[in-house]
Amino acid sequence: MLSSGLRVPAIAILLSICAPAHSADATIRVEGAWARRAVMLKGSEATAGTGNGAVYVALVNTGRKADALLAVTSDAATAVEIHETYQEGGMSKMRPVSRLELRPGTSVELKPGGHHIMLLNLTRDLKPGEAIQLTLDFEDAGKIPVTAQIR
Amino acid sequence: MLEWLTRGRTRVCTLLAIALAAGVATGADLRSGTFKPARAAPEISLRASDGNDLKLTRYRGKVVALGFGYTSCPDVCPSTLFDLAQARAKLGAAGKDLQVVYVTVDPERDNAQRLKAYLAGFDPTFIGATGTPEQLAAARKAYGIVISRENVPGSASAYWVHHSSFVYLIDGAGNIRALLPFGVTVDDIVHDVKALLEPCTQC
Repeated sequence: MLSSGLRVPAIAILLSICAPAHSADATIRVEGAWARRAVMLKGSEATAGTGNGAVYVALVNTGRKADALLAVTSDAATAVEIHETYQEGGMSKMRPVSRLELRPGTSVELKPGGHHIMLLNLTRDLKPGEAIQLTLDFEDAGKIPVTAQIR
Repeated sequence: MLEWLTRGRTRVCTLLAIALAAGVATGADLRSGTFKPARAAPEISLRASDGNDLKLTRYRGKVVALGFGYTSCPDVCPSTLFDLAQARAKLGAAGKDLQVVYVTVDPERDNAQRLKAYLAGFDPTFIGATGTPEQLAAARKAYGIVISRENVPGSASAYWVHHSSFVYLIDGAGNIRALLPFGVTVDDIVHDVKALLEPCTQC
């Protein structure tokens, strides 16, 4: 019979072996996540919402196969979407991105005026110096928790 | 010149190209697109987020940074406003002579109170402006701003308003002097505002 001192490490090893494959060979590195400061807009939220925000981050695919960012969740907003800003006809336009491709060995930088993670209907003020938590869901690497510093 | 300016989207693009090219070709003392000769900024008549009537003449003696956007805009508008707030902070004591005026392109969702709360998140001195759809359309036309409201399938947002994202710099005498394209650096904004606050020698 195993002593209790041995049982715990044995369970830990079993768990690590049995964990979903994607976490064992996750090859996405998430760097420098930050959110733009924003205030919740109250008073007209029923018709106009509580205001929106944006999160920027660099995604690096260090692996040998393609991956894609599919979705993002956060408790700082009631909905989170991946968007791209682009310029057309003298206007800044936005379009939703259903999957953000990450080819092997490349990185994609989400930055102002380009791809961004949009926070729709904020649930709190985004105050500089604080941080919000997000979960990025990749097709292959699975879910990766991310902390975004607010600037 | 102003009639030319107001004749629609292609004119706006041409204007942008000329302004940007002029800035580069002449090695002008402004880093952003310049207007040479400077021309009088069209007056606008709107409602300000501080409860007053908004007229640009109210800010004579200051440099006005005039932009258009809306509070539900997540990326371009906050980036622009943040950079303008940073520039104003970097100007130090001279920052009091930079007035940011931000005109909504979404009056259906943006009332004066909402604009005020939104802008205060960047800098409490920023003034928002709204008005009747007709007043706002006139202001956009005077400054060559184009918008297009679009419903976006697959988004939780009710609609978006695509819009021109450049910002005008108007000097203390009420002349349009520069056009800041989206993405201009904070240092370049500071440089150009400082230049416009110098005593006017060639305008």
